[in-house]
Formats: sequence, structure tokens, C-alpha cells
Amino acid sequence: MIRIGLRDARSHFRRFAMSIIAIALGVAFVVGSFCFREMMNNQVSEMMATNSDHDVYVRGSDEVTDDDSSDGGSSDTGQSDSGATEYNTISIDLTDAISKVDGVEDASVTYSVSGVVLVDANGDAVATMGSPTMATGFSADHPWRSATFTSGTYPTADDEIALHSFAAEKSGLKVGDKAKVVYSDGPKDVTVTGIFATDATQAGAIVIGVTPSVAKHYSDLTNDEPDKTGRIGVYGSANGGKPLTDAQQTELADRINAALPADAHAHAITGDAYRDEATKSTQDALGFVQPLILIFAVIALFVGSFIIANTFSMIVRESMRGYALLRSIGASPMQVFSTVIVQAVLLGLVGSGLGIGLGWGMVELIVAVMAYMGTPLSGAIAPSATDMIAGLIVGLVVTLVGASLPARRAAFAPPIQAMNETVNPEKPVAPRGVAGAVLCVLGAATWLWTARIALADGDPTSIDALNRFAAWTGTGWPLGVGAGLLVIGVIMLGPALVGPAGVVLGWIPSHVFPVTGRLASRNLARSKRRTANTAAALFVGIAIVSCLGVVASSAKASVASIVDTGLKADFAVFSASSGQIPEGAEQAIRDVDGLKSVSANRFILGAKFDGERVQGMTFAAQDTLFTDVFAPEAKAGNADEALRGGQLVVGQTIAEDRGWNVGDKVRVTTENTVVDEDATAKAQADYQASIQAQIATLQTQLQRQTAARDIAGAQDTAAKIQQVTDDAKNVDPASFVKTKTVKVDKELTVGAIISNNVYRTCVIMNDELGDELGTKQTMFTTMMYLVAEPGQDVNDLQERLKDAVKSYYVVSVMNRDEYKSTMSSMVDQILLILYALLALSIVIAIFGIVNTLALSVSERTREIGLLRAIGTSRGQVRGMLGIEAAIISVFGTLLGLAVGVAAGVVIRAVYASQGLEVLSIPWDQIGAFLILSILVGLIASVSPASRALKQPVLDAVSSE
Amino acid sequence: MGRHSAKHVRQLRSSETQTGQPDRTPGTAQPDPVVARAVDLTKTYGGGDSQVVALDHVNVEFARGAMTAIMGPSGSGKSTLMHCMAGLDTPTSGQVFVEGLEVSAMGQKQLTNLRRQQIGFIFQSFNLVPTLSAEENILLPLQIAGKPIDRAWFNQVVHVVGLEQRLTHRPSQLSGGQQQRVACARAMMARPSVIFADEPTGNLDSRSSREVLGFLKQSVREYGQSIVMVTHDPRAASYADRVLVLADGRITRDLNHPSYDDILEVFAGEGDEDGDYAA
Repeated sequence: MIRIGLRDARSHFRRFAMSIIAIALGVAFVVGSFCFREMMNNQVSEMMATNSDHDVYVRGSDEVTDDDSSDGGSSDTGQSDSGATEYNTISIDLTDAISKVDGVEDASVTYSVSGVVLVDANGDAVATMGSPTMATGFSADHPWRSATFTSGTYPTADDEIALHSFAAEKSGLKVGDKAKVVYSDGPKDVTVTGIFATDATQAGAIVIGVTPSVAKHYSDLTNDEPDKTGRIGVYGSANGGKPLTDAQQTELADRINAALPADAHAHAITGDAYRDEATKSTQDALGFVQPLILIFAVIALFVGSFIIANTFSMIVRESMRGYALLRSIGASPMQVFSTVIVQAVLLGLVGSGLGIGLGWGMVELIVAVMAYMGTPLSGAIAPSATDMIAGLIVGLVVTLVGASLPARRAAFAPPIQAMNETVNPEKPVAPRGVAGAVLCVLGAATWLWTARIALADGDPTSIDALNRFAAWTGTGWPLGVGAGLLVIGVIMLGPALVGPAGVVLGWIPSHVFPVTGRLASRNLARSKRRTANTAAALFVGIAIVSCLGVVASSAKASVASIVDTGLKADFAVFSASSGQIPEGAEQAIRDVDGLKSVSANRFILGAKFDGERVQGMTFAAQDTLFTDVFAPEAKAGNADEALRGGQLVVGQTIAEDRGWNVGDKVRVTTENTVVDEDATAKAQADYQASIQAQIATLQTQLQRQTAARDIAGAQDTAAKIQQVTDDAKNVDPASFVKTKTVKVDKELTVGAIISNNVYRTCVIMNDELGDELGTKQTMFTTMMYLVAEPGQDVNDLQERLKDAVKSYYVVSVMNRDEYKSTMSSMVDQILLILYALLALSIVIAIFGIVNTLALSVSERTREIGLLRAIGTSRGQVRGMLGIEAAIISVFGTLLGLAVGVAAGVVIRAVYASQGLEVLSIPWDQIGAFLILSILVGLIASVSPASRALKQPVLDAVSSE
Repeated sequence: MGRHSAKHVRQLRSSETQTGQPDRTPGTAQPDPVVARAVDLTKTYGGGDSQVVALDHVNVEFARGAMTAIMGPSGSGKSTLMHCMAGLDTPTSGQVFVEGLEVSAMGQKQLTNLRRQQIGFIFQSFNLVPTLSAEENILLPLQIAGKPIDRAWFNQVVHVVGLEQRLTHRPSQLSGGQQQRVACARAMMARPSVIFADEPTGNLDSRSSREVLGFLKQSVREYGQSIVMVTHDPRAASYADRVLVLADGRITRDLNHPSYDDILEVFAGEGDEDGDYAA
């Protein structure tokens, strides 16, 4: 029997091609997603081992939970929601205590500044593909163990840098070259002192080594608490400069813990433990990639399984007489079953094998492309044995599932029935349809509920229990559950919809092509399950893509509407480096001719409201903000008057968060480190007094020596006097500067609450208040809005503005359209990936339709022959099959669009408060999908139609 | 084909049925009495040692307005002859003409046109498109060809085959005899020059067979339809105006208006090999 199966497989091999491709694609996605995840994980842990290579980390001992950000919080603040547990910050002074612990080689805080720009010798900024450029502080005293200098050495002065090998390669800089580094306060001339390599690639990031003091300086500028840090890294000395073993790390951590003061709220953990934790949270953050790929794997395998079912149905149909013969000469049903299953196993093995290779190749390709684009990754790619076995099992199981029904049919059909070519009528689809409809209704209701929660101001219903339930679930869960219910519901409902859909969608074709159109739309209703399953592949793909399409389009429209409706200024000025616009750049812009007004928003660091920081940004602006820059959308109060009148203007999200209403009094406190004039003067005076005392002592000595005619001694003393005087002259006055912390405490009134998208998470006050609350050091300009003088050529003006800030590299001047497109271009990039996925699901869907039609054609051989005999032309047969395929494809697309667009609308509603203010449904895109789906159907019908026409009419109709 | 008024038809019935002569319609300028002919038709399958000669230099003419039955044992070439005549199969050599058009030289497009204009088919089974109702099946050839529908003719045909009450039924809701009658009506509907019927009663019980054959006979008598029918049932052949008997690819007998007994006699005389046909 197995021999028969193998022979059959060989003779059917050509027909298996499509099934093999489908299985291979599905398995490729599965294996590829595993490979990709593993590669990313490897990359992350390699980078972790290199970039966080301390033996022991000291960090806060108390977990910090952010109560305010439970609802997703604001994304504007740039806080990364990595999902990792956060701990309290600790004092940097602890380094002294830790350094004294036995076995500690070095304890230091590693400061890193991101958002800097490296400018090469030609004056061009070194660009990356989205990876950051960052300056990291290290020195001979506080080294970075994983970095080894290949040439040169550590930077020792503020104007010296070392470059990571990748940065050196990208910039073409060598040791001794002059370059520029653009920090938040402007470009600085630097000299390259060394080039270092690290074990792991930095995934395309440009890493610049600077002295720890430079790194700390710039890092403090954006830090609310400069004397606090998240963690202190400790290198142990036990292994003579080599990383400690796990046991040594534990021992060292224990010793450090014993030495840490009890009131420091600090705790030492081993480097390995820290890295595991950090690696895991980064991997979790990247974890979304795999499910996304797996969704498409599921689509491919789903289609694959019924392509296989269809293929085997065809084979079984054609071999029925053979099976009947086998049965009548005494073969058991099991033996007939096995002849079919043997073929399935063979097919599954071949398909899975190809798929594993394909998946591996795909990831290799992705890595190669990313390296080419400037993001080298060194994580290993090769799939592990488990991945391969998983892929193989998935492929085999799907094949066997697909083949088992036809095989059963082959095995259990009574020999006589098998001899006759009768098509068993389909099982009724109504029960399944009812179940599907119930699921759909539940899903839709869940979504309505979600939208209600999201859109409600306060409680979604008047029933308390429901409100508590809503608060408990939030919006994420109902959104996901609703989507799941709807997708499963629609797939179940599908067969019941085929009949009506055939009538509705067939209406146009049956009027344009009376005969073929009618035949086509009725043919679809013959095997409703098959038609629905074929359409389901397209349904899922289109649903995902159209949902994201709506979200993306709404995001674009929301940004555009900010600009179109609110923005009055002609230009916006941003800085890429930590959001700070250097003072020089600000001045340069103010100096440009042709500007009517310039508004600068100054960020106030560390402002606390009633003792707590807000989840957002506090900034000071000119009185003209709401008249010249953005028209306020006030929810309550008059924003313009409030700003001018020295009251707070609060964004809606913050106001809701904190429960503030117009008229509420809020206590605003800031802590600023300022130069303590008195203390500085006293320090200087003390120093001068001590110098004078020294000189006086020396002069007395000199007089004595002169009197004693001790010429040598007198000369020596005179030189000493000279020395002391010179030292006093050369001493750095900065070393006497004493600072103190000044607390400012003001009670302010909430004057207005505004819902402008850009200001939703902002607290705004006027410059006067800002100056009282902040200092020059703690306030910096983040944004500027410029209004041109009437009659100015805006393009020309923009050129002049760009020239003015050119030397600052990081400052960009955008006109209204560019301002809009900053968001759009990012969205477009996401859409590009989506379209790639769409293309893939279309390819898979085409396979499905081709296969379904091929099966349908093979079932209808005689009918098509009959049609030909009574005068149907070849074109009409092609047309009929084309219309059938197009209806299947449009059917799937319409279902997908309906569910996908609805999902997009709900998601938009849920995230309305996070910036998706405007709903925009991309109708042109939807139209394009529909037209595309018609084309897809027509293309898919070509090959089955050719097969149908190849069959001689005579074969089809002759009775033997 | 000529158009017949009811009066004409009645005249024709009385005057011509016994003669077996081709239908000559007054008012039509002398149509060719031969509707289809085969000239030196040869069809072989395979090659070399395994070559099978299905038709061996057959020359035959089929008369207009008559029913011709082709009989013969299995493998005699009777089906092959009909398939070649209908353009369903291409002859190895020789020519086939229908209404003076050379079928054997036609391409796919011309064949499609021939099927639309000149030829009607009735098969042994699977005559109807399962997704279409009886009425839609009957009208299908006209609609495929994009021809206007003659409602009066439709009503007449439907009346003759007795399907008035069954028009909205799907084939699966009709009995075998009813299905064959729908097939006959469909073949008649386009008023083709000639209807080729391949064992039209092969799957029917004797009562349904009589109904179908009666209708075919009636269409020849009343409307001057030309019909070529392949059958191995002597009872069916006895309805024909002329019976051709094939054996080994050649026409061995040509009977004019044979009775059932005449036909049985022929086969009895042929010897044991054909004994089963008389059963």
C-alpha cells in the first residue's frame, strides 16, 4: 500500500507544487520568526554583555511604581515604557563608599548623552539609520572594560574624544583628526585621541567616548536630579581586570551591600543578574515582532492546509475508481487511507524542509540588508535544532490535517458509489452561520463597549458595577477580545454569507455578462465552505492591513489638522539633540531679517506641582503663544488671558490626571542649583587672605635673611614669594565657585484647560513666572515658532533661517508642510512594511484561489465540456472562471475591509486622547484594495481556466 | 431551417412522413437535401502495432428533416462517426461538412460558431448545468450566443415536451426522463440545422425512453428537424427514418424505415456477436 502511495505521489508531483509552496511559505514564516527572535535576542544579550559589563550594579532598593501612567501615560516625555521594573534613584556620592570596599577596582556612574551629532573632517554630519549617536563617559581611571583601544588612547581633556570602530569607519576619522561633536548647546571642536572596538556590534549606533566630566555635564542638563543616578557600576579586581565569575560577583555584591549605608536606599546586585533582567526587558520590548510574523505564518498555514485539502480532494476524486478497485479486491479502508497519507507525509516533509531553508534565508537576507543600510547585527542567525523540528512538525501536522478528510473519503466511500461520479451535497451551513453571527455580534458589542469607555468623559455608564468593570478592564482587553471574536465569528459566518454575497456581488457581472456572470455567481454557492475558506485568507490579511491603514491615516490627519487648524506660525524650529536649541542658534534665528515674531518655549526642569512632577512637560512661553503660534482649544477658561495674567494653562490629559479644574490653586516648587554669591566671595576672600598670610610670612623671613646676610637663603625666599604670587594669579576662579540649592515655592492658579493636541501633556506659564521658577541652567529652549513679516517670500526666508543655524547641525527649521510631514513620513515607513505584508498575504491568497478554482474546475469537467458543446466560447469559459475568482476575492476583501476599518475606528477612538484626534478613513486606499482584489481574482483564474480549456470537449461529454 | 406555419406542419405530417424524403419547404429556395455529410472519413487511434481503426473510409450523407439512427456494436465506430460529424473529434483524414461548411477544417472559434448556429446536442447523461433552472438551461444556448429569444417558439417547445410546470426546477429536482426532455427542448430551442443525440435514452426506463423518442420524432415530423442519433437500442432505432449499421469502422447496412422486427432481424443475422443487442 505504501508503495502505491509513493508511486501516486510521484505521478501527482506536479500537482503538489502549489501545496509545497504554501507549506514552505508557512513554515518559512514560523522558522523565520523564531530565527529572527533568536537573532535579536542574541544581539541584545551581546550588546548587554558589552555595554553593561560591570561585575556588580548598585541601584535603588525600592521598586517605584508609576501610578500616574497606568493608562498608557504620555509618550511626549520620551520616557521609555520598557516594562522593566523601575527602582528609586540613588545618590552618586555612594561611589566613594563603594570604592572603599575591598575588591572593588572602580565604582562609577556611566553617563551617556544621546542626541549628539558627530561631524567628520569635511564638516558633514555622520548619519545613522535610525540608530542613536551617543557620547559615553569613560577614562583611564573609570574605564570601559569591554572597549579595547585599537589605536590611540582615552580622551583626557574636554576637547578630546575616542571613537568606536564603527563610528570611525562611518566618519572616516583617524587618531589625531579634528572633528566636531554637536551637543545640546552647540558644536564643539574636538580631537580624536583613540579608536576602540567592542565585542558586540552596536547595531548601527555611533558611540563616542568622552571624558566622564563632559558626559556628566551634558547628562545633568536634562536630568531633574543631577546628584542622583539610577545605578552605579562596579568593576571587581579579583580577576585582575577580567570579568568576575558569577560566584565572585555574588561575593562582591554581598560585601558592597554590607558597606552601603542603611539610609541610602541602595542595593547591590550581580552584573549577571542585572544583565539578565535588562536583556529580558529589552527582548520583551522587541517581542512584538514575532507575533506579527506569526500572524502571517498562521495565514499561510491556514491557506496551506486547505490548498492541501483541495489538492488531495482532486487527487482522490480522480483516483476513486482505483481505490474502488483496491477495495473490491480486498484492501481495507485503512490501507486505502494510508496510500493517501503516505503522499501527504512526503509532501509535508518536502514543504517543511524547503520552508526551513527559506525562513533561514529570509532572516539572513534581512540581516544582510540591515547591514547594508548601516545597522550591522552580530547575533547568530542559524535556526536551532528545536526551531527546525518545530517547523517540520508544524508543516507535517498542517499537511496531515489537510489530507486527512480527503483520505477518509477515499477510504470509506463504498466501492459502488466510488465508481459513480457523484458529488455529495454539502452539509448545511446555517448552524455554523448562526454560531458565527453570534460571535460577530458579541465582538461588535465588545467594540462598542470599548469605544464607549474610550469616548466617555468619566464613567461610561450609569451602572456602578459596569463602571468598575470598565475601570478594571481598561480599553486594551475589550479591544483585543472584540477583535478575536469578530475574526473567528466572520470566518465561521463566512459560508453562510457566500450565498447572499454571490447574489449581491454577482449582480453587476450577471448584468454585464448575462450568462457567464450568472453561472459564475451560482457556482460559488455550490461549495460554500470552500469558497468562504478561500476568501478567509484574504479576509485576515486585508483586515490587518486596512485596520492599520485607518490608524496610520488618522495619525497623519491628526498631525495635519494640528497644523491646519491650530498652527499660526510659519516655521517651527526643533533640535534633534535632547530637544534643546542651543542659545547661539536661538540668537542666530532672532537675527535673521524678515521675522515678525519669534516665540520660544522654554522647558522648566524639575517643577513639582503639589509636590509631584507631572507626566508631561512644563514650559514657559511668551504672552503671544496663543495669539501667534497656536490658537487655543480651551476646554475651560480663557487660555490667552490666563497666560497673560500669570496663571497656569494646563493640558487636558494632565488636568484629568490630577483632577485640576479652572480656579484650583496649585503649589509649584522648583529646586535650582545656583551660584552662592556670598559663599563664593567668602571662598575667594579666604584664599586671598591665606595667600597674603603666606607672603607676609615669607617677607618676614626674607627680611630676617637679608639682615643675616644669608644671600642664598634670601634669593630662595624671594623666588618662593614670586611663586606664591604667580600661583595666586593663575588660580582658576571657578574653583572657588560655591553653589547652593534654591527652592522656589509659589502658589499658582489654574487659569485654563486646553485640549490642543500638542499641549495635552503640557503645563504652560508665561516667561515672567518661568524666570521666577527656573534659572538659566535649568531652563532651555525646546521649540521655537516663527512668524514671517507680511510680504516676505517664505521660501527665501526659510533658506536664510537654515543658513543661520547650519553650523549647529541639529537644529532644523521646518515650514508648515514639513512640520506636517515629520509625522507623515514616519507613518509612511510603517505603511511600507504593511504593504510588504499585504503583498505577501495577496500572494498566499492567490495560491488559495488558484487552488480552489482548480479543484472546482476538476469537479466540473463535464459541465464545462457541456457548456463548450452547446456553444460557449473559450473566452466565455475564461470569463466565467474569472468572475468566480473575482467574486471570491472581492468577498474576502470586503469582509476584511469591514472588520479592519471598524477595528481602525475603534482603535482611533481608544487612542483619541493620545493624539489620534481626527478619524480619517483612507477611502482611496480602500478603493485601491477593492480594485486590486478584482485583479487578484482575475489573475488567479488564468491558470485554472487554461486547464479547463485544455480538456477536450469530447472527453468531458463522452459517456464512457 | 425554414420556418413552418402550423398549417404547413400539418400538411407535411400527412404527406411526407412515409416518404422519408428531405423536408422541402415551399417558399425556401431549394435547400440542400443533405444537411451533413462525411467524405472518405477515416479515424485511427494510436499507431504502429496498437493502431485501432475506428472509421475506415466512411462516406455517408444525412438527410435534412429526417431522423437517422446509427447502430452498431461496441467499438464499431458509431460514436466516433457522430463525434467527428459534430466537430467534437477531428478526423485523421477525410472531410466532414455540415450545411456545406467544412467542419474538419475548423478552428476553435469557428467550431464555437458552428455549435451556436448549426448544431444541437443531446447526451446520454449530464446534459444540464446543475446550477441553472430548467428554463435557464433551455435558453442557455441562445444566451451564450447572445441571440434574441423567441418566446412563442419557447412556449411551443416547452408545451410539446410537457415541461410547463417544471420550468423553475433545478435539474436535481427533475426525473431522468424530464432531464432528457429539458435537454431536447434546449437542443430544439436554437433551431439548429442538425441535432446530434448520443444515446439519448441510454439511462432511461422504457416509458421515459418512449416519451423522449416520441418527442424527437414529433420534432422531425412537425418542424422538419434533422436528427442524427447514436443508439444501440433497436426499439429506439425503430423510431428513425433511416438506420445505419456500423461494424469495424464501415457502414454495413443502410435500412430505410425499418420496423422494430426488421432491425432485430438484422442483428440476429449478424451472428452471435451481436446477440446481446437484441435482448
